[in-house]
Amino acid sequence: MPRHVVGTLSELPPGSRRIVTVGGRSIGVFNIRGRFYALRNRCPHQGAPLCQGRIKGTTLPGRPYEYVYGRDEEIIQCPWHGWEFEIATGRTYFNPHRMRVKTYDVTVERGAAAEEDVTLETFEMTTEGDLVVLRA
Amino acid sequence: MAESVKRMPIIDCDVHNRFKDGKMTALWPYLPRAYQEDVREWGINLSGVGYLNGGDRGYRGDSWPKEGFPGSDLDLMREQLLDAFNVRYAILLGQELRPLGTLPNADYAAALAHAYNDHLIEQWLAAESRLRGAMLIATQDVPQAVKEIERIGRHPGIVEVLVANGARLPYGNRCYHPLFEICEAHGLPFALHTGSEGAGINGQPSVAGYGSYYVENRQVRPQGYMTHLTSLIFEGVFEKFPKLRVVFIEGGYAWLAPFLWRLDADWRGLRHQTPWVKRPPSEYVWEHVRFTSQPLEEPDQPADLLEVFKWNRAGRTLMFASDYAHWDFDSPTDAFPRLSEELQRRIFYETARELYGFPVAASAAEQTVTAD
Repeated sequence: MPRHVVGTLSELPPGSRRIVTVGGRSIGVFNIRGRFYALRNRCPHQGAPLCQGRIKGTTLPGRPYEYVYGRDEEIIQCPWHGWEFEIATGRTYFNPHRMRVKTYDVTVERGAAAEEDVTLETFEMTTEGDLVVLRA
Repeated sequence: MAESVKRMPIIDCDVHNRFKDGKMTALWPYLPRAYQEDVREWGINLSGVGYLNGGDRGYRGDSWPKEGFPGSDLDLMREQLLDAFNVRYAILLGQELRPLGTLPNADYAAALAHAYNDHLIEQWLAAESRLRGAMLIATQDVPQAVKEIERIGRHPGIVEVLVANGARLPYGNRCYHPLFEICEAHGLPFALHTGSEGAGINGQPSVAGYGSYYVENRQVRPQGYMTHLTSLIFEGVFEKFPKLRVVFIEGGYAWLAPFLWRLDADWRGLRHQTPWVKRPPSEYVWEHVRFTSQPLEEPDQPADLLEVFKWNRAGRTLMFASDYAHWDFDSPTDAFPRLSEELQRRIFYETARELYGFPVAASAAEQTVTAD
């Protein structure tokens, strides 16, 4: 998998996301409570820009008339038809085994920015130099 | 499918335009002062039932302009719909005032329809040559609605007369016949859009009243459309007004053929009770009634829809609609299973072109060639 620098760690604090185009594919990279995830920015349903959707929790399946809210920040909801996906796995909440969106590996490379060939057109360098790297 | 639709011009039969601020001030130039004062004090006062909706406050999450509401910004509508999908004609159906049939005050409702129609023509149709509009009428006072169609119905940008699924009586009822007479005379289809079921002065949304949840409310749409369609046929509307065309917007499509099988079967034994219904009910539908596609049914196997399309004579009865910018938007390139070139041309262009009388010169086939 080719390696793509998404940005420096300080540019992607917890709760943030960045949508990048890699090899003609639009991919959303998310920092959820300090962990990074990446999803294809195309809903498998009708092609909507999934990664622009709301990051949220959801109501957990339960007994009739019971509302329990949970999994805060673990779900992204497609901005068109409202399908909910687990950000960590790309699986839909309603049919995790059959319907999912592609995920990619994201890693943080400590102190790598200093050695990086600086073709980082838009990315500002930070002192600690940690890079968020997508493999896609 | 996706690529071939991208290459052809399409007609979108369900697009929602909104006022910029989501309020009524856009109507001030067109609304009598007395009503302005009422609206300032009391708000629009149109009834909903109180259900939730979907998406981001009812809209696609990516359709909110920097300022104002989805559907209020023409540039964004161009970018996300007209240009993105090569839309040759988009039919605007309005938004805030579509529930005006829920109002108890017939004169206020008629004034709102009048103001909206002028606003539509001056602020939208004049601004973009690809836009066409549905005029609103208030059915509370049919003679006033007839006058409104006489006043504005011949405007070249007005292509149909729009009412809501929610109503006080099924639309075939004789009290509405003057509307059909004037629609027929002006060559304007009479269109129903889902909404207002059980709201305001309208009847209950189902035979068992109100469901608890929004998802239940969405399922009363085909029930209402079945009621109106049956009424139109058995009250003899298509016999009285042989050139009338009726459009059912956003109320489902896959239900049609099985429903017509029932109607035809019942008609054989009960025909004598309504002897003016001279043909099997289905035949009136093939000739007089059109349906828009969104939200298209989604069978487990998408290709199963092709069977339904065959039953429903989709090449004749189905017209593409996106419902932009609502959250349940259907993408022209991703909502349908793979279609034959001919069926695609019919659904995405020709049937609507014929219905609304758009010029033949802009036919899909010709433009496909030039686009290539």
